[in-house]
Amino acid sequence: MSTTTATLEKTLGIPPHVKPEQVFEFDIYADPRITDDVQGSYAAALRGAPDIFWTPANGGHWMVQRGDLITEIVKDYEIFSAREMQIPRVPDPPYMIPLSVDPPANLPYRAALMPKFSPREVAKLEPHMREIATKLIDEVVAKGECDFIREISSRFPVSIFMELMGLPLEKLREFRIIADNYFNARSNEDLARLGGQIMGIFSDLMEIRAREPRDDLVTSLMNTEVDGRALTRDEILAMCLVLFLGGMDTVTNVSGFTFQRLAEEPAVQARMAADPTLIPRAVEEGIRLHGVICTPRVVVQDTDKHGVSFRTGDMVLNILSQVGRDNRANDHADAFDIDRENKVHLTFSTGPHLCLGHILARAEIRILTEEWFKRIPSFRAKPGARHGFRIGTVHALEALPLEWDVSA
Amino acid sequence: MGRAIAISRGRPPLVQIHYRTHDGRSGAFEAKVGQSLMAAAKSANVPGIIAECGGSMVCGTCHVFIDETWFAKLPTAEPMETDLIDYGLYPRPTSRLSCQITVTEAMDGLLLEIPPSQH
Repeated sequence: MSTTTATLEKTLGIPPHVKPEQVFEFDIYADPRITDDVQGSYAAALRGAPDIFWTPANGGHWMVQRGDLITEIVKDYEIFSAREMQIPRVPDPPYMIPLSVDPPANLPYRAALMPKFSPREVAKLEPHMREIATKLIDEVVAKGECDFIREISSRFPVSIFMELMGLPLEKLREFRIIADNYFNARSNEDLARLGGQIMGIFSDLMEIRAREPRDDLVTSLMNTEVDGRALTRDEILAMCLVLFLGGMDTVTNVSGFTFQRLAEEPAVQARMAADPTLIPRAVEEGIRLHGVICTPRVVVQDTDKHGVSFRTGDMVLNILSQVGRDNRANDHADAFDIDRENKVHLTFSTGPHLCLGHILARAEIRILTEEWFKRIPSFRAKPGARHGFRIGTVHALEALPLEWDVSA
Repeated sequence: MGRAIAISRGRPPLVQIHYRTHDGRSGAFEAKVGQSLMAAAKSANVPGIIAECGGSMVCGTCHVFIDETWFAKLPTAEPMETDLIDYGLYPRPTSRLSCQITVTEAMDGLLLEIPPSQH
């Protein structure tokens, strides 16, 4: 072992089961190498890192950046459990249903939620989603400019989600702030307080729906049986917590990053405008390039795999956004190529915890993009504007000032 | 028509699976006995099988229609599988999730059809 490594071990407290060549320093919450091009700079920063590496930052944890390895880990729940997903570890980690529940116990919950997120339900929602998208875009089109995040992508999916859940739309901004704060929280205290705030929202809603049932998800969960019994209040709240965090932020982020990239791709824009049947392919390419989730697991059984000694209690962060950017999986992975035949990515993860909203998310981004291109076929980023971002287990873009020509 | 099952020493026997797409193309692929029909179709790049969850039975994107005569010979689906099929866009009486079908030697020559889309 070299002197440098020995020093590194001493100062950074790298555990003895981590080999020196597996250490690569990366701060998932504040790495200085990350820029407004979040996924692109992430891929560049990790280009020299092993497929599985240990970062001493944030309490020390593994990071996995190759698709087949991530697929193996998220499916191998007997070794890599989803029951703890907080990095650094906290004594009392948040509990979400079905996200924190390993198979087979997660399946009945998943089954309870599936009807509302199924292809059939999403297809039924399509006309209404189109209405909302049209309304939001019509509000900005004549101005020739907008902050795409604030005015479009934070409002569109979130409005749909809130309606689906049965939440009052006038609380949209307030709820977005709570979700954002949650993703920035590190201490058990802050997580508990914000989690409590979110569950408080749903607890109030459950009381109202007990008196006035509606055709929304909360009402439906209150009347759903799992394994022949009704869901408990705590179970429903633990389900609402993950739905809230998923619904308030992720589609906003994927569509935000996709439009940030499209703004730099006039030739792609021209093709999408000329032939709207290309839009679903373009959207999938945007999804491939702009994964926003890093999904953590905790090792619950010592195991040696792929040259790595995973030890009980180690946290393992699967960087889903890296898969689409892997040149071994996609030729010229950083290029936006609508015609790419096989768009390899794990933006929605895979295995038993595959994103419940993957059908809804794809439909939302497609519909938003279709309606946008009908009205704004060509647009660009406002020169010189900083976008700002948040990284961690969910990547977000803070602002996206766009502009376009308005015909008189 | 009967066909000899390919057996090579030490390896699981292979069977031949035939498929038709909704727009009338057809083809065949080899499946190893013991693997799932989905895994075999994915390895052979059969068009229209997505299998986003990789066989965890939570996504329904490996949906296929099994030819009627073959359908009757398969073990019946669990309720969760039937639910997932019913939530999809193209449920039919002979629908199955290909991740839930384990290939056996008796399936040599099985015919399936790929639905118009998975979502």
